[in-house]
Amino acid sequence: MYPSVVHSKLMPRSTEDLQSYLPPQFRARVFVGDPRDHGDDPDYRFTLANERTFLAWIRTSLALAAGGLGAVTILNDFPGEEVLGLGLLALSFLTAATSYRRWAIIEKSMRLSQPLPPSKLPLLMGIGVGLVSVVAAVLFAFGSVGG
Amino acid sequence: MSLSPWLAGRPHNRPDEVHDSMLQQERTALAWERTAFAAIVAGLLYIRFASDWHPLLTLIGFGQVFFGGGLLIWAGYHYDELHGPLRAGASPVHPTATRAVGWVTTVFIGGATVAAVAAVALGL
Repeated sequence: MYPSVVHSKLMPRSTEDLQSYLPPQFRARVFVGDPRDHGDDPDYRFTLANERTFLAWIRTSLALAAGGLGAVTILNDFPGEEVLGLGLLALSFLTAATSYRRWAIIEKSMRLSQPLPPSKLPLLMGIGVGLVSVVAAVLFAFGSVGG
Repeated sequence: MSLSPWLAGRPHNRPDEVHDSMLQQERTALAWERTAFAAIVAGLLYIRFASDWHPLLTLIGFGQVFFGGGLLIWAGYHYDELHGPLRAGASPVHPTATRAVGWVTTVFIGGATVAAVAAVALGL
């Protein structure tokens, strides 16, 4: 009795059910499938290189998160420094959220012997971190002059 | 009881010829372990900061630290288990592991970001 009520048509029972509620285009962009469903196994060295690149992105996002948390909580030299930390945290979230999708797309491309798709994320990360660094340096300079 | 059989690993997993001369497998295992260390350190840092905001917020950090510890153990186990299949020509692709790390890291950072925004907004 109770399960039949809980498992109504409105209640998703699995991640597939949950995904069916989302628009198809959004679903295809966010929930990339298992790359093993496509093509043939590539050279194991390529697969491992892709895995290491994915892990490097994850570590980068964790480092950005650590920097962001540190900026939010430790820096108290000038007003507004929290914004710098939150900016780093936002960049960190973006990096982590796109890393698996990027790994799966590259793996799928390798299995289909297709060119690897380019990514805008390294450029975005460079601009974002550079911007935060410059703003932090300017604020530090003003803070030290004013103090 | 001698430890040497354990240290040498299970016989069917030990390389019996030159294989993977570029040490791709070992480099990848080290990348997994570095990532696990980074996950643990990030979780500990978050616990340190979140403890000043609200004790309940530290739970996200504890989850991350335990996940990092589990990942570290799994990375060593996976390295040991992969010798044989790699020599036999199997693909080392592991979508479950990458998906788990991707999702857990995203959830952790998302939670940390929300907590930081709330702490800034509430002036904690």
